[in-house]
Amino acid sequence: MSAKVSRRNFLKITGATAAGLSVSAALPDRFLLWAEEQGMVKGTYVPTYCEICFWKCGARAKVINGRVVKLEGNPSHPGARGKLCGRGNGGAGLLYDPNRLKHPLISTGKRGEGKYRQATWDEALAVVAEKLKAIKEQHGPESVALFTHGTPTDHFLPLLYAYGSENVGMPSFAQCRGPRDVGLELTFGESVGSPERVDLANSKLIVLIGSHLGENMHNSQVQDFSEAMARGAQLIVVDPRFSIAAGKAQKWLPIRPATDLALLLAWINVIIAEGWYDKAYIEAYANGFSELAAAVKEYTPAWAEKETEIPAATIYETARMMAQHAPAVCIHPGRHATWYGDDVQRTRAMGILMALLGTWGREGGVFMGTTAKVPKAASKEYPEFTAEALNTCGYALAGAEGLTQVIREATLTGKPYPIRGWIVTGTNLMKALPNQKETFDAIQKLDLLVAVDVLPMDTVMMADVILPECTYLERHDALAIGKGKSLTVSLRQPAVQPMYDSKPGWWIAKELAKRLDLGEYFPWGTFEEKIKSQCSLLGISYEELKELGTITMPDTSSPYITPTNQPEFNTHSGKIELYSTELKEQGFDPVPRYTRHPQPPTGQFRLIYGRSPVHTFSRTINNPELHELHPENEVWLNAAKAKEMGLRNGTYVALINQDGIRSNPIKLKVTERIRKDCVYMVHGFGVTSKELKNAYRKGADDQGLITRYTVDPIAGSTGMRGNFVRLEEEKKHA
Amino acid sequence: MELTITGANAITFPTLYVWDWRVSLYLFLGGLSAGLAIMTSILHVRKGGALAEGERAAISAPIYVPIILSIGMLFIFLDLERKLNVFWFYLTVQPLSPMSWGSWGLIVFYPVSIMYALATFPEGKRDLLRLPILKNWSARLSKYKLQLAGINFGMGIFIGVYTGVLLSSFVARPLWNSALLPVLFLTSAMSAGAAFMIMIAKEKKVKLYFTKIDIWLILAEMVMLPLFFYGQYTSSGAHRESIMPFFTFSHEYFWYGLGMLLLLVIFPIAVVMKFLEVKEDHEEELTPGALFKMNLSAIMVLFGGLIIRLTFVYAGQLSHLS
Amino acid sequence: MPNYAMVIDQRRCVACMACVIACKKENEVPHEQYRTRVLEMVEGQFPELRMELRSELCNHCDNPPCVYNCPTGASYKRRKDGLVLLKKHRCVGCKACLAACPYDARYINHKKGYADKCTFCDHRIKDGKEPACVATCVGKSRIFGDLDDPNSLVSKALRENHAEVPLKSAGTKPRVFYIKKFSKPE
Repeated sequence: MSAKVSRRNFLKITGATAAGLSVSAALPDRFLLWAEEQGMVKGTYVPTYCEICFWKCGARAKVINGRVVKLEGNPSHPGARGKLCGRGNGGAGLLYDPNRLKHPLISTGKRGEGKYRQATWDEALAVVAEKLKAIKEQHGPESVALFTHGTPTDHFLPLLYAYGSENVGMPSFAQCRGPRDVGLELTFGESVGSPERVDLANSKLIVLIGSHLGENMHNSQVQDFSEAMARGAQLIVVDPRFSIAAGKAQKWLPIRPATDLALLLAWINVIIAEGWYDKAYIEAYANGFSELAAAVKEYTPAWAEKETEIPAATIYETARMMAQHAPAVCIHPGRHATWYGDDVQRTRAMGILMALLGTWGREGGVFMGTTAKVPKAASKEYPEFTAEALNTCGYALAGAEGLTQVIREATLTGKPYPIRGWIVTGTNLMKALPNQKETFDAIQKLDLLVAVDVLPMDTVMMADVILPECTYLERHDALAIGKGKSLTVSLRQPAVQPMYDSKPGWWIAKELAKRLDLGEYFPWGTFEEKIKSQCSLLGISYEELKELGTITMPDTSSPYITPTNQPEFNTHSGKIELYSTELKEQGFDPVPRYTRHPQPPTGQFRLIYGRSPVHTFSRTINNPELHELHPENEVWLNAAKAKEMGLRNGTYVALINQDGIRSNPIKLKVTERIRKDCVYMVHGFGVTSKELKNAYRKGADDQGLITRYTVDPIAGSTGMRGNFVRLEEEKKHA
Repeated sequence: MELTITGANAITFPTLYVWDWRVSLYLFLGGLSAGLAIMTSILHVRKGGALAEGERAAISAPIYVPIILSIGMLFIFLDLERKLNVFWFYLTVQPLSPMSWGSWGLIVFYPVSIMYALATFPEGKRDLLRLPILKNWSARLSKYKLQLAGINFGMGIFIGVYTGVLLSSFVARPLWNSALLPVLFLTSAMSAGAAFMIMIAKEKKVKLYFTKIDIWLILAEMVMLPLFFYGQYTSSGAHRESIMPFFTFSHEYFWYGLGMLLLLVIFPIAVVMKFLEVKEDHEEELTPGALFKMNLSAIMVLFGGLIIRLTFVYAGQLSHLS
Repeated sequence: MPNYAMVIDQRRCVACMACVIACKKENEVPHEQYRTRVLEMVEGQFPELRMELRSELCNHCDNPPCVYNCPTGASYKRRKDGLVLLKKHRCVGCKACLAACPYDARYINHKKGYADKCTFCDHRIKDGKEPACVATCVGKSRIFGDLDDPNSLVSKALRENHAEVPLKSAGTKPRVFYIKKFSKPE
């Protein structure tokens, strides 16, 4: 009697063979999920880490028949803990975005015209290599700069170095975290890291000043934040806008924009005057207390009230709350710190406050990262750099990430030496750098602009050669080393094979290197080989890593100060510098000093911007799954002001800034949730690339209105919140 | 209050919008055919059948019933999202679903009304039926005229009332959630049936007979409608809010306010007209003028019934509990 | 016999919308249709403002009007675990269930025509997993479990906190409980 082949088994067998025949992307998700429900096919989970934002959450891609049908968080990854935010969940939307870059493209028109012809990889790479060689010959390798963000950095930075240039510019420094990191480094000898080492889950009081955590959806940090809220932690939020976080706060301080430093200094003043600081901690670990005390004497709450419009009693009360709950107080240093040009000093003030309350290295404050060392693989030494890097020119304290606008300036002026070529990987410069006209003009002067990206972003569509990288779900990338409480190693591996003619970043870099006779700097055959060797170096099993996605190195955690675990401060004095000797040496204020910044004239509003929990700025703007939930941004205007101006909720308005730049029409949100002197919108909308069919011209581009910027003299970062706009009703909506 | 919703479905936000004029039309036509069935039964049974003698409507009315019902059912069928699944209505009985009762009721009402139409077909005119099977059945069923009249009457009441019960059973739609709604719908259905009968009847005595019936029915409606709104007004906050569209002429709710106004005008005028028609000293034959007035008042009643169905279906979906 | 319910701790919700997207992916919900939603409510006047964040979904009521009103028996409450589900092949698309639901939990699947809604990820529960929205909730605001098990997370949450059900007066006896955000102290 032949065995009865039930319908289910039969389909399972054919399902397996069909998968082997790989007619992958043809079957729609609907059918596959139904088939899975019936038990006909089984999904396989491929661990990787996400690239929708920079948190690098460990994710598990559910693949059925060669199609990614869902993404779930990897429980082994400390940044995800088994969960993914909305954007991580929508990752497949990027993978299957029909507007993705599919083939290498070579420009056939003027820069910015958007005219391209399809080319083969050989052709495209040959063009790039030829031009790079030409620049090297005529101007020297230092004339090529790399602008980069995210995991492509791991492939293209070595290429840049091998080529002979050190001119890298990462917008994440000069347009985002730079001054924060510099300020904390000057105070504690190190910054808080990214992900930040804030011990929110154990905090008794959280102070958010300039952070809209919640809308700023950073997975594990929000998990900790929610944990703290559920446990009854107190929350103080300082924000001109009633954010999600403010909605949970016991104290919301709607501060007048640009006066945050006044508030911080007043808090320091009160805490010192009342003797609420951690005397033992300061004694043991800090320097410069008396100088600090003298310097902040004038910054009383009464004085601060005049600057910040926050009542003196509130300033006093919030300081008292901090003292009451110290040291389990988390003064969150924020992330995007490039506001008004004195941002290093503002971060210094935050650092000083953290130190006074004794929270650095304590539970509920800022925990100490793992001190476990990551062995470096032996690699070929880079050639001698023939010229001084200009990417931090004039800013001794700028980070190794370089200053993007300095490179741009050099491209425009040719001083100190010309930059003739830009390689742009994984970053949308038009949306990142202030004053778009400068970026545009600089690009016009280049001999070569090559873009490596996944989507036809605004900047990509200006390049001479566009090299399509496949998405994070289709490639290997460098091991992500996490230095939180413990040392973790995470793997990115392809869940599906690259679609169309797109290639992984490592392949592109290696192929370019070959054509530039730099092949020996990329000695491995495939990147997986390099990963394997790294694993053996780290002493972990590659097979296990492939299974789990993330491995936590045991016994690498020592987050808090204990008698046997003393902190080390990498400052000049070896202690926390309340009074910064280094700054004094460089000719800057050793203790932050308040300067008043210009406020908007009547009839104008300060433009402030932020994030949406379902978008990562322009990166996700076209993702159909995320676009659906948030297709356009709105400009928030105070309700009383709107009434005055006769503007109704939902009307479309245009914003015109002080330099006459007019924005795209944008929907007006009339709300009580914002002060009268500023307007707010989510950053990243208003793309100008026609190829992004979902996102094209939806909403307004705040970056276009950021034409005025103040450079922080210490870090070289660009303060971008000093632009004032007026509103005009749009008669017709585009 | 500032409200932002992410993930709202267009079909339920900002208000529910699932049933439209097709459903209203079915409610009206279904009610009309039910009312007509009731009136037809009355026509044939009253005064031992004397009323029906020589009356053209005695033959035509029972035929109109299934025709009007068919048109109504066509519209409600068009409203279904999965029309091919319609047979599922008849593979199960859901005791707590008025829609299930209705679907079964209709499937009984339909053949009953056709049988009644055949039964009341006069012997002399049977040849008009053409098909031998029809002639056969007409002959057979004419014996059971009385019983069929009774069943028809009962079915008419059921069909006229069940739609009201259906709507009133939704706790989520406060406008409909009133015990008075089924009675209102039934009365409106019967009134429409009487009005229709008036229009198709030839004999003066029949017309006047049903005019008298209609007067009572319209008066009943004129009492019930205010009671209905008063009941809603004095019920919970959600109920009170649900009737607001009817009492405003704002841009959003213009049509409801207009509908209410029309009802306030139509019914009193119709009832007065009918009263005068009855009071008037008619000659043997009704004058064209009198006929015109009778038809006009009848059309007004029908129009009023349609307005009730349209406004209630749409306004009911605007109402919500939360 | 498990008695599944959900508790939503509003204090933990940050309106990140991860649940909305995860649900859509897990259940192939068509474009621009949703099985769960997030409401952001702010009241007051600047600067005295209060905020409530709330996510809503089908409550799998114990007295479900959508089940009673279904003329074909397509909508039913499963006795073994209390989930309110739909036999898709029976659905005629009459939309009585949409009209009957006081929570606007249902929609007509615009690709297929049948009425659709949250199923508490029935297919995941039977594999021992949590519903997709619960699994991904970053704030751990959504809690799911068996009311009959005193050690389950839902039972614990309900024991330790005051929870309310939406539209209690409707008499639907919902199984989704809300722990309200704590009010701001004076």
